[in-house]
Amino acid sequence: MATADIPAGYVPGKLGSVPEPWIDPPWIEGDNDFRSVTDKVCRIAENPRPPVAWFIGFVFAASLAGMLGAMIGYLIITGVGVWGNQNSVSWGFPIVNFVFWVGIGHAGTLISAILFLFRQHWRTSINRFAEAMTIFAVVCAGTFPGIHIGRVWFAYYLFPIPDTRLYMWPQFRSPLLWDVFAVGTYATVSLLFWYMGMIPDLATLRDRARHPIRRMAYGILSVGWIGSATQWRIYEKAYALLAALATPLVLSVHTIVSFDFAVSQLPGWHTTIFPPYFVAGAVFSGFGMVLTLMIPAREWFGLKDIVTMRHIDCMCKIIIATGSMVGFAYLTEFFIAWYGGNPYEQFAFINRAFGPTWWAYWTMVTCNVISPQLFWFGFVRRNPMLIFIISIFVNIGMWFERYVIILSLERTFIPGSWQSFVPTWIDLGMLVGSFGLFFTLFLLFCRFLPIVAMSEVKQVMAHVDGNPHLPGKAAAAH
Amino acid sequence: MTDTATTDVTPQPKRLGLLAQFAGPDELIAAAEKVTDAGYQKVEAYSPFAVIGIDEALKAKKTQLPWLVFCMGLTGCLVGITMQCYMNGVEGSWWLSGYDYLISGKPSFSIPAFIPVTFELTILLSAFGAFFGMLAFNQLPKLFNPLLRSDRFAEVTTDGFFLLVDAKDGKYAEAETEAFLTSVGATAVETVDEVVTGYALPAGIHLVGASVATAALLVPLYLWMTSSTTTSLPRITLFKDMENQAKYKAQRPSTLFADGRAARPPIDGTVARGSGKDDVELYYGVKPESNLVGAFGGGDLQFASFNGDGPVKATLVAEGDEADSAAEPAEAAADAAPAEMEEKDWVTEFPKSLKISSQLMDRGQQRFNIHCAACHGLTGAGDGLVTQRALGLQQGTWVQPTSLHAEAVVTQPVGRIFNTITNGIRKMPGYKEHITPEDRWAIVLYLQALQRSQNASADDLPADKRRELSTLK
Repeated sequence: MATADIPAGYVPGKLGSVPEPWIDPPWIEGDNDFRSVTDKVCRIAENPRPPVAWFIGFVFAASLAGMLGAMIGYLIITGVGVWGNQNSVSWGFPIVNFVFWVGIGHAGTLISAILFLFRQHWRTSINRFAEAMTIFAVVCAGTFPGIHIGRVWFAYYLFPIPDTRLYMWPQFRSPLLWDVFAVGTYATVSLLFWYMGMIPDLATLRDRARHPIRRMAYGILSVGWIGSATQWRIYEKAYALLAALATPLVLSVHTIVSFDFAVSQLPGWHTTIFPPYFVAGAVFSGFGMVLTLMIPAREWFGLKDIVTMRHIDCMCKIIIATGSMVGFAYLTEFFIAWYGGNPYEQFAFINRAFGPTWWAYWTMVTCNVISPQLFWFGFVRRNPMLIFIISIFVNIGMWFERYVIILSLERTFIPGSWQSFVPTWIDLGMLVGSFGLFFTLFLLFCRFLPIVAMSEVKQVMAHVDGNPHLPGKAAAAH
Repeated sequence: MTDTATTDVTPQPKRLGLLAQFAGPDELIAAAEKVTDAGYQKVEAYSPFAVIGIDEALKAKKTQLPWLVFCMGLTGCLVGITMQCYMNGVEGSWWLSGYDYLISGKPSFSIPAFIPVTFELTILLSAFGAFFGMLAFNQLPKLFNPLLRSDRFAEVTTDGFFLLVDAKDGKYAEAETEAFLTSVGATAVETVDEVVTGYALPAGIHLVGASVATAALLVPLYLWMTSSTTTSLPRITLFKDMENQAKYKAQRPSTLFADGRAARPPIDGTVARGSGKDDVELYYGVKPESNLVGAFGGGDLQFASFNGDGPVKATLVAEGDEADSAAEPAEAAADAAPAEMEEKDWVTEFPKSLKISSQLMDRGQQRFNIHCAACHGLTGAGDGLVTQRALGLQQGTWVQPTSLHAEAVVTQPVGRIFNTITNGIRKMPGYKEHITPEDRWAIVLYLQALQRSQNASADDLPADKRRELSTLK
């Protein structure tokens, strides 16, 4: 929410404070008032018969998620040998997928928290969407280290739970344990942030619900929200505090994930550039995924007035910025390998670019460094189809970035231990299955929850856009 | 809610106040300002979004939530750092003691390594403070609210803007207040009553709920109890860990094989490892004519004669080989063997099958320096680096090796020294798994040279070297 969103010259009820549309176009387009925004957003969750595309997508995604579940069952019964992991590449697809999904999960909190603190009003139309994406991406991410531990029924060893038999505690100097706390905290805080932001909108769904079961479900979820000034006052404060807390958190999570690599002694991993480079890559991939989801969703759900091309344009610009940071990091890595004079480090990078898996490296560079640069052209940023395609490239590129990093394990110090990594069909199936899980959760979210933060959009309409179609404005204009 | 089942008379509902609707956020702010300026104090506004400026108009106090969040954050920080220092830096014999890990030479209280988790817990608890504090300060969840009974009020989450003047307000007078609200721009004014009718929870539902909750806890509690107490019966645990393993133990029956035995005889035509040691001088350091050959080599000889055609003969495994198969009594066997042996049984000469040469001497020196010198010292005086370190640390369990130049060692027959290297003595482990018999003999050879060197006089030198020595003087 945006308490401090008041523009400098805003005077309640005075039309003079409305920005000129040709200089600063409104964030919400069309003849929308509070009720029409509510109708447009709630209709998606209230429609008794969702579009056929939704059903097809859901069945497809849910069967992939089911496949993931079956594969996890097979893994638990059989053991981690079903993966392509081996002595040299002891972390294969599970860690690649983990880092990939955690990275995707960064855009949500970035949009919710950092853009909120920077008073970027365009976040209100997309933040709910991105936050939901965060939660589901973190669910996918958390699955992989969870099943990678081998005997999954000992997953509780990850947490500092008193054990009267072992007299053991976790080892708090290990980056892998930091990961547990970082990802756990991130998942929890993101969930709280998402849910808290949704409470007023859930109350809207409750008040519009006709069916008693829907009314009861939304009634419980909205915890009795009635939108009193007292509630809003405390809520706004809590939201601002959560945003301020989530901002360092979102930066810390991928930093700590990068420690898994950077704290080791391996050439190509043991580098101080990893934390900022991982964070930039995470934001980059997260925005890529938001665009991948947002472009079809605004088309299918009729949200073009609320999620306008101006919002899309802002996201494209963030992609250029973070994509360029990632490209710069790739160059820096090479420079430092050369300048540092460590032959193992130099070999690691030459091997990445020109070794047996050169194709993975150049896929990464093409997708992550070259493709986002197309957003410098205005016509690309105005063409949803092109944006959608580039966003897919970004997703592919960021997956390959993590894959390339992991493949450093193929060729380490001792040539005798060199071993090529070959994924098994379980590896590939679990990667595909994790997308199935992600989209299943996402489609359920689209079906049952408010996918746009209505109360925030209304606030922007009332206080930032100065929309003359609003009831109060209309009265003042007459 | 009161229980209406006991009385048929519906009591007169209590008046909560007057609810006025306004056209938009600006009208709401303007009206709220006028109402509070008129002296009303218990006024509340309702809107579909956070209307900016309404708090000032209502003359509302600021929330204390940030203090709660600050305190929670501080708690998280302290809990994080204390937890890690205790769990990884403090160790004792008390219940649930920490475990003082020594990791890559970091100190027990390695604060830099504890920063990430401390940071995350600070954020986590602050976030809990913000979220649950928001709910608590708003007295949520509150699933029933009399305002929700008003059809008009249902618009509050869509586009309705309302003011509620509380009936408890000192200035509240229904007719006048209503007129005043209309005068400040209300589009509609209605009264709100406390709700007295409705569904009451069935009697005893709390008891049922509590019973179900308690019953649901019994199984996990029982599992926890059985897994954390000692018992003479097989443990009941959710996951079997490694307490029960699918394997056969020695001398147990098996349904897998036709003969019903879990222990398997050797496969036809195979030779057991360690068999075929006929040359007792070379392998055991004892004289072939000794009475104890049976004890040392007899088992092996018998074993080696097994041709694989007939049934397996019951083999008498010698004491020396017992140590081979059963790791535990190695030390006992080593101690026992020399005691039973008589000095005359040990060979006093090197085995005939061994070719004594200067290469063997060099080999012996190299092996001695690798395997023995760490404890015995390069000269064999019993002052190796491990010994020095152990004595420096005043290790109570450490037995300093006897000097190899002591009278008792120098006079030992070579066979006995060979046996000591093979099977160990006192704290010294046997080296038969690490050093081949030839190399063990090479070490014995080198040891003889060492002993000679330490007990030598000038007369032992060749004539020319003696002359050189005298010139040095």
